Amino acid sequence: MHAEDLLTTSPTPEAVAAEVAALPPPPPEALEALRRKLESTEQAPVEREWPPILQAPRNKKDSRYVEPATSHRPVVGPVLVMAKRAFRLTFQPFINEVLRRQVEFNEAILDSLATLYEHQQVQARTQALWRKEMEERLARLEGRRD
Amino acid sequence: MSILRSNRTTGPSAARAVHQLVPRLAWGDAVGNQARYLRELLRGWGYASEIYAEQWDEECREQVRPAKDYPREAGADSALLIHHSFESRLVPLVARSPGRKALVYHNVTPARLFQGFERKVAQACTAAREELLALRPLVECAYAYSGFSAEELVAAGVPHVSVLPFAMDWRAFDTPADPVLRAELEDGCANVLFVGRAVPHKRVDDVLRVFTAYQRLYQPRGRLVVAGYLNRETPYGGYLHGLRDALGPERVLFLGRVSAAQLSACFATATAYLSMSRHEGFGVPLLEAMHRGVPVVAHGAAAVPETMGGAGLTTLSRDPVEVAGLLAVLERNPKLRGQVLEAQRTRLEELGQDAVALRWKQALLPFLEGTLEAPRTPEAPASVDLVCPALGPHPDSDMARLALRVAEKLGRARVLTLRPGIPSPRAAPEVVQDGGIETWRFTPDEPLSREPSAELPGASSLETAVVGSPAVPVLLGVDTASARELLARLPSRTWGVEDSTRPDSSRAEVRRLLDTRLLELKPSSLATTAARLAGLLARTGDAHAR
Repeated sequence: MHAEDLLTTSPTPEAVAAEVAALPPPPPEALEALRRKLESTEQAPVEREWPPILQAPRNKKDSRYVEPATSHRPVVGPVLVMAKRAFRLTFQPFINEVLRRQVEFNEAILDSLATLYEHQQVQARTQALWRKEMEERLARLEGRRD
Repeated sequence: MSILRSNRTTGPSAARAVHQLVPRLAWGDAVGNQARYLRELLRGWGYASEIYAEQWDEECREQVRPAKDYPREAGADSALLIHHSFESRLVPLVARSPGRKALVYHNVTPARLFQGFERKVAQACTAAREELLALRPLVECAYAYSGFSAEELVAAGVPHVSVLPFAMDWRAFDTPADPVLRAELEDGCANVLFVGRAVPHKRVDDVLRVFTAYQRLYQPRGRLVVAGYLNRETPYGGYLHGLRDALGPERVLFLGRVSAAQLSACFATATAYLSMSRHEGFGVPLLEAMHRGVPVVAHGAAAVPETMGGAGLTTLSRDPVEVAGLLAVLERNPKLRGQVLEAQRTRLEELGQDAVALRWKQALLPFLEGTLEAPRTPEAPASVDLVCPALGPHPDSDMARLALRVAEKLGRARVLTLRPGIPSPRAAPEVVQDGGIETWRFTPDEPLSREPSAELPGASSLETAVVGSPAVPVLLGVDTASARELLARLPSRTWGVEDSTRPDSSRAEVRRLLDTRLLELKPSSLATTAARLAGLLARTGDAHAR
């Protein structure tokens, strides 16, 4: 950190830069690996899929529209399909308005579920880390006892 | 006043009234909080005061009146404060409303910061800047919350621009902390906090990078807490989740929208507040962190250095490893941490509510009493705007020398460039007359890089000055951020000069847009190019005059 890159009055930029310089230097190979990783993510945006558990509700969240009408019946089928399509075509704006709040609710609840899912993932990872740390400590203690 | 008045019982009084207009009144955002605070202030001074909005959050229903009612309900003795921060489509309504009007400018995020993620939002940001220019003839004066924002208003030609402190209601931050979240976060980990919506210009991705470096190099038991709305459906939301997996830091909590109590818990357990935002018109969470006794590390872009006012640790560096070092010293050195917190407390004393209210009153009074002087008629404007961002930071570059030569030959031209050096608050562009050449220097949106070969940042105020001017714009260097923005906004009247020695992936598109209005600069042909460009521009100027 260069002192001229710091806009601070108290402590002075020089004092802060000196403190940063006094930090224990990280291992060069760890620093190099980190820089490589950071640079690799500076490029194209990294996309990620939604959690699989939420994919199905996500595909159904927009309740205003339905699958195109089809029928296997030979004669009555085309008539029914045409009637259904005509109904949709005529009333779609009204259907949209009636179901607008439902779609908003669906989107909001999906967001909340996704946040819960992420929290659960973070908690699981943290617990795994904690368990690993505990096991290592236990192993060290047992090693000393032996 | 119109006889077609609203039948609401709480209509504005016949006495002098000062109302506010916001596109959307939201619960908890900076513009909404400011509008509510100003309304109470104005009512306390004896004015009738209402907030008019086109949209509002459900929680704000009782605090707002529909914007469409304003032209009917206002009279000739009404005054209107128009809050502007995003595309509102309210300019026609403002134009047909009676009474005096003033602008309260919160700044508009540059569209380029949304590119690649939010095309529609980027377009709306550009539209908001067009609206700023459209509001210019409708308002008597304008108020901005930072010199950075005021500079853009002056560049746009808005009369009587004042810089005022952001009025903070500190009591709103005194909500007791949520005990459940507090217990969860108080587990001995070093919590790094960021508060804000996950939108591209806030650069939550850079926060993730800095935190990753911090956790890997200095504090394995660190935790990142991001409190603010995050929509996974947006490209940026998806990007952030993907980036977290790619970088692989442990203990990253995206909390989403939080309640006031949860926010208090976040601040109460935070070791440091980290902001890597590339654009802030002011930056309320920075002051909130200071108020709650959390040391702040912030990237010094846009108005952030002004908001910080020398307190906290503001850095011009964007290197995650360097910024992580700042987080580490704050955590490890109690003496330095104490000094930072003391400086933050001193900074907040300047923003005490009584002092802020007094400054608002002093600034608003001339407008409310109609005692503002008539704006001065500008001198004959330049006929050519030579846009050369490189002149300020790299005065020896070929483009800088070309800009000066062309300006010398043309006479009635001004040169627009970036202000070099460390960003310092200014409320207007710096205008320098040197050897008969008028040079306007604008604050860049982001700090200039120490690397001479690095791309120069854009400057919103420079771009607004060019778009709002009738002069012919000439882009000396078509590969800069400002040049790209101006090419998109003024494709039909812009001229350009490209540096043939610099690699530029968008060259074909620029050539297609400018066609015969694009000249090429070779290192050996500076004098010839200057003479040719000056000749062509002189002819264009004559054609304009005819």
